[in-house]
Amino acid sequence: MTLFEKIMALYPSLTQQDFLTVITLQNDSNGAGDYIKEWNHPTLVKPTQEQLK
Amino acid sequence: MGNLVLNGATSGATTLTPTDAVTITATFPSLGGTVMVSGNMPAFSAYNNANQTITTGTYTKVTCNTKEFDTNSNYDNATNYRFTPTVAGYYQINGQISIFAGSGFTRGIIVFYKNGSQFKFGNDITTGNVNGGRYIASSLIYCNGSTDYIEMYCYIVGSGTLILSTNGAADNFFQASMVRAA
Repeated sequence: MTLFEKIMALYPSLTQQDFLTVITLQNDSNGAGDYIKEWNHPTLVKPTQEQLK
Repeated sequence: MGNLVLNGATSGATTLTPTDAVTITATFPSLGGTVMVSGNMPAFSAYNNANQTITTGTYTKVTCNTKEFDTNSNYDNATNYRFTPTVAGYYQINGQISIFAGSGFTRGIIVFYKNGSQFKFGNDITTGNVNGGRYIASSLIYCNGSTDYIEMYCYIVGSGTLILSTNGAADNFFQASMVRAA
């Protein structure tokens, strides 16, 4: 399951637009994989590493 | 008003003849300045020679790992896939991605990053569920000639496996060329 899919499973109300505006997932193609670059959602809190396992 | 005649080393001559209608002033660089000619204006073009898998909804750096040309050795095609021009000035940046999805592809965008942050977005096209498409971006960006660098990321939305599919230099490419000095 990708990071995007894990976050969507936690917060099904999120939309694609949220990932273009208030949430930024990024992959720098350096082998480190996907990560949360920015989380500025006005109501939903940033998931913890535990939640994303 | 006279002519300026530049004699060739062995033969011939070039004559510069000013017009009487207007006054034109040509200002040359100071003693330590540099005249910009094609030979010292960086330009590069690189492409991705292998398929690159992309995660939906995730800004992903495009790994253009093969150079077509790199006139000033300013593009890193091995590690960071970034353009760090060593001459300060204004650069025309171009990019294209070719997306292939088995089905369910709905959106694609190219984003140019400057110094690690989103800086210029390309066209943002949403579609019905299709197999893919090609997307382009173009922008004019200033670089300081020392620390500034440019990278190309893409943002793709779709279901299933999303791939930047390669067809040699024609599909996924990243380019830059200096258009004027600082």
